[in-house]
Amino acid sequence: MPVKTTSANPDRGEPSGKSRYKSDASVPRVLLVGSPNVGKSMLFNKLTGRYVTVSNYPGTTIELSRGLSQISDRKYEIIDTPGMYSLSAITDEEKVASDLLLNERADAVVHVVDAKNIERMLVLTLQLIEAGLPVILVLNMADEAEQLGIEIDVAELERILGVYVVKTTATTGEGIKTLIDRIPQVRAGRFEQIDYGSAIENSISVIAKQLGEQGHVSRRTRALLLLQGSCDYAGCAAGDGGSPGADLITNAIRDCSSQIEHSVHYHITFAIQEKVKQIVRQAVSFPGAHVRDFRERLSRLCMHPVGGLPILFAVMYFGVYKFVGGIGAGTVVDFLEGTIFETHINPLVVRVFSTIIPWQTAQDLFIGEYGVVTFGIRYAIALVLPIVGTFFMAFSILEDSGYLPRLAMLIDGVFKKIGLSGRAVVPIVLGFGCDTMATMVTRTLETRREKIIASVLLALAIPCSAQLGVILGLVAGHPFALVAWAGFVGSVFVLAGTLMARLLPGAKPSFYMELPPLRLPRPGNVVVKTYSRMVWYFKEILPLFILASVLIWIGQITGVFQLLVAALVPVVNAIGLPDKAADAFLFGFFRRDYGAVGLYDLQNDGLMTPNQLAVAAITLTLFLPCIAQFLIFKKECGFKIAVTTSLCICLIALATGFLANSLFNLLGIAL
Amino acid sequence: MICSFCFRTFDEELARKQCSHCNPLIECGRVKCPYCGYESPKEPKSLKWLNKIRMKKK
Ligand SMILES: [Zn+2]
Repeated sequence: MPVKTTSANPDRGEPSGKSRYKSDASVPRVLLVGSPNVGKSMLFNKLTGRYVTVSNYPGTTIELSRGLSQISDRKYEIIDTPGMYSLSAITDEEKVASDLLLNERADAVVHVVDAKNIERMLVLTLQLIEAGLPVILVLNMADEAEQLGIEIDVAELERILGVYVVKTTATTGEGIKTLIDRIPQVRAGRFEQIDYGSAIENSISVIAKQLGEQGHVSRRTRALLLLQGSCDYAGCAAGDGGSPGADLITNAIRDCSSQIEHSVHYHITFAIQEKVKQIVRQAVSFPGAHVRDFRERLSRLCMHPVGGLPILFAVMYFGVYKFVGGIGAGTVVDFLEGTIFETHINPLVVRVFSTIIPWQTAQDLFIGEYGVVTFGIRYAIALVLPIVGTFFMAFSILEDSGYLPRLAMLIDGVFKKIGLSGRAVVPIVLGFGCDTMATMVTRTLETRREKIIASVLLALAIPCSAQLGVILGLVAGHPFALVAWAGFVGSVFVLAGTLMARLLPGAKPSFYMELPPLRLPRPGNVVVKTYSRMVWYFKEILPLFILASVLIWIGQITGVFQLLVAALVPVVNAIGLPDKAADAFLFGFFRRDYGAVGLYDLQNDGLMTPNQLAVAAITLTLFLPCIAQFLIFKKECGFKIAVTTSLCICLIALATGFLANSLFNLLGIAL
Repeated sequence: MICSFCFRTFDEELARKQCSHCNPLIECGRVKCPYCGYESPKEPKSLKWLNKIRMKKK
């Protein structure tokens, strides 16, 4: 290896005024930057050898590795920065990396990218060059890219970007020698300036005039960061050039966001990505152009407001109706419930417990109608496991294929027509988001009335995916009930969205623009994801089922259970459901999916018509999310608001169920 | 870990520190992606253990 290594630099990074990072100013400094998993650390090791110091970046828990390298008879300090995707930082690691780039001396910035995914990586390269930093672009994992038949024209890239471009394979050390030769010759790049649109460009020039000189980062870049809110005033604006006009800057930022449709971040990212696409077309050739073409077209179709709907419909039909409804809730449940539990386990357990426990009341705790074994464990294993399992598997396949972000874009496109954004809500619905709701409500809204309305709407509109899975499993066997459910819940969702847009007009979601690739799901990933999700769900659900069994047992002895059920019977009757459904709705107060699970027995015994199933599923989807959520609201908004909100949600859910039932009866619809 | 929604890599421990705890009853079993807000379940201990064994064999 051509690099001689010396022992570690003894000084430690201490905060000292503006520059937090103290080191010998006469030693040129090289920063290695790039996103995670591009082989940056391996490259760092190849450049520095074994003598490396690792210390926390001042004021943080984030570790930085530093080492020394001998390059053409001169010592260079090499710093491995934490992984970053963009100069406008989101995570703590990115903030450290961005802070190093903005505020510290860098004699060369080596941007390491994964050559296979060059399209997704060049965004940061352009940002670094635009900032006026002395960049060297390293196309790492060049061997893998070559194996995939990706041809990158280095000379053409150098011509377009104006910086040195080096192909490397850090694992074998190939290309490292060229990189080392390039470091002393590094130069700032230059490319045709990106046009971010008149509103943003005007604000940039207003802000840039107020900024002093600071480090070697261009005023344009600092203005862009200020506009995106990803740099605080002290970090970007204050420099040696006198006191900047803080008011002018604040006004410019406000004016800019009022003139554009989306967030500033969105417009900027979009413009850079367009530029990247153009550069890639000029300098990179991919194999199997028709496969890429097909993927690109399919991806666009998934997001199209009209063309995307048949795809969504197909996903629902095969994923939910056929797989979850047919196999999970049908075949597997029948086998586990009917064969394993009903004919084998239950009789055995009943025989064992009735011989060892002579008292009827104590027997009921284990083998009664809501006994720990006959209810708690049987429900968890024979009903919830297959339904949740199949749902989570279907869901993991969708996740791993990269369909979900496209679904978010599709819903966003449809929602935009009625003046609101779905992109912020979809990840919350599809993930298991619940803390987002509470924080969204408390951060942005001032008055009590608004808080109540907004939290009611959010709680109604956002069932988490686990709840969605169980409730869908209930109706999945009846296609028309499924359609009725989708229609009603979809309408409430849109209605809630419209009202939210009126309530939270200023809340523009800053959502990423970069779509992950559409790909065939990998079986290994699907298994891991399904398994993780099921472990998580069972940790939360099984203990509560057993607790519910015990509570009901106590309730039955004391008569409280019977009282509560008696109070709920008229309510469930009012929405057209049989008396027995009252038990299930009582569970629904714990979590809405428990309520749905409680209805499976009724459905299996044929005690509910498809109409009733649809009504029950609609009501439960809109019901109180879960006890945990109630506690968050209590914590964030106070007891009164939490109780009022919950009451409103119950009323709206029941009212919608009532409406659905009346509508079916009135129009004589039998699903 | 890698986010299942936006496919970006982030540090699980750091992300958990940034997220306000939503379920006061039990330890939260989810990790929220700092980039897009998507919540994924935490990788179970059994899987981490399996991964370690696999890494050791390599
Ligand atoms: Zn994410």
